[in-house]
Amino acid sequence: MNGAGGAWLRQLAGLAVLLAVWELAARLGLLNPLYAPAPSAIGLALVQLFAGGTIWPHLAATFAAALGGLALGLAIGTALGVAAALVPIVAELLEPVMILLNAVPRVVLAPLFVIWLGIGLASKMAVAFILVAVLIFFTVYTGIRQVDRRLIERVVTLGGGRRALLQEVYLPSVLAWLLGNLKVAVGFAFTGAVVGEFVAASRGLGYLLSFAQSTFNAALMLALVVLIMGFVLLIFALTGALERRLLRWRG
Amino acid sequence: MLRVVELALSYGATPVLEDASLTVPDARVVSLVGPSGAGKSTLLRAIIGLQAPSRGRIETSYAKREIGILFQDDALLPWRRAAENVALGLKLAGRERRQALIEAEAWLERLGLSGLGRRYPRELSGGQRKRVALAQVLALRPRLLLMDEPFAALDAIVRARVSQDLLRLVEEEGISVLLVTHDLEEALALSDTVYLLSRGPRARVTGEYAVTMPRPRDVMAARTHPSFAPLLGQVWRDLSREVAGAAA
Repeated sequence: MNGAGGAWLRQLAGLAVLLAVWELAARLGLLNPLYAPAPSAIGLALVQLFAGGTIWPHLAATFAAALGGLALGLAIGTALGVAAALVPIVAELLEPVMILLNAVPRVVLAPLFVIWLGIGLASKMAVAFILVAVLIFFTVYTGIRQVDRRLIERVVTLGGGRRALLQEVYLPSVLAWLLGNLKVAVGFAFTGAVVGEFVAASRGLGYLLSFAQSTFNAALMLALVVLIMGFVLLIFALTGALERRLLRWRG
Repeated sequence: MLRVVELALSYGATPVLEDASLTVPDARVVSLVGPSGAGKSTLLRAIIGLQAPSRGRIETSYAKREIGILFQDDALLPWRRAAENVALGLKLAGRERRQALIEAEAWLERLGLSGLGRRYPRELSGGQRKRVALAQVLALRPRLLLMDEPFAALDAIVRARVSQDLLRLVEEEGISVLLVTHDLEEALALSDTVYLLSRGPRARVTGEYAVTMPRPRDVMAARTHPSFAPLLGQVWRDLSREVAGAAA
């Protein structure tokens, strides 16, 4: 029972023990169900969300906002990063803005986006977008500037021109940087979407959370937290697989 | 043939080389030895046009694409397999992809790497990576090969084996070589002529030594050739005089 497999089993056993103690404490009346509902109650709330079918529109809203913001953030963050790395004037203008946006917790913009874009999908997507775009901008911008000079010289001395450099050196190294940060970006996208819904919305997991809060429904709240965790872990696993496949050279 | 005539080079306002003259005849191996920081690498960079000289001339009978260069580090693309790294230069020279890969595999085989073409650089040892880098350059059929401390990072045994294989290929193909190194023994064992560069800044070529050992040559056996030790002693004394006063 040593090594990684053993550790995995021990962690699982630890979780099981914790849940069992929690459940037992709740059943013995040691915990106030208003604040700390039993794991079984949380599980039930989770099942009800799916069984009643109420969850689907909310899931759809959150995923649409998160994935939309992610895609937009990746595209625009990359475009701006490339532009800044290649055109000095663009870097001069963009860098201070990006540093400022990077320095503040960007979720403070969420209420502003609601005023600008309304309580619909667009404002949530905007929060996810701004979180992702700034991260990706810096990833690509510094990635391009830190490309190994020796590789560039090597390709040039082998007779490569601009196109070869882009294709053989810049693109792969930027792709590596991007993939390395994709997990963080996915996390940011969901954070942005949920926070946006939290501020003002009529749908989404963030909206359900704020609804659970206002009705003092701790079981529903915890069920939603578990649900969000589950989805983010699933997406992490998918991006991890993508990373392993595309970055096999890095081992 | 390559002729460097009274070349001077500087990095910005800092003079590096003041007066470097040397000749690399066709199918000959020529070494340039000298203290670290003397400007040996700068000279090679000037020859391939990565650096503009401030004075002097570089004359060569070779076209630009006939000049290959091997730097100290292998600089293989980490995201391309060994064979793809070798094929890169061939593709840039206009070879169709499949053809380039076939030729690349053949070159890997000539350098003793058969079966390793599908490995990524990080899956190869230092000596193997060096061989891939050599294959990458040799595949382009250079007539002049410039080498900047190519074996510095390798341990002694690997170094001897890789340089022996290189020497064999260079002798077979009649490639001219200009080797920059601070390893005197390596310079003598491989070369027909050794030039000595003085201590920088304002380094000058101060000595020229003919190495008369026969070819084809064995890099280890050359070290026990009767003419080896006296010549080594002579270059060593001259080099010591150059370095004296530098660090004391």
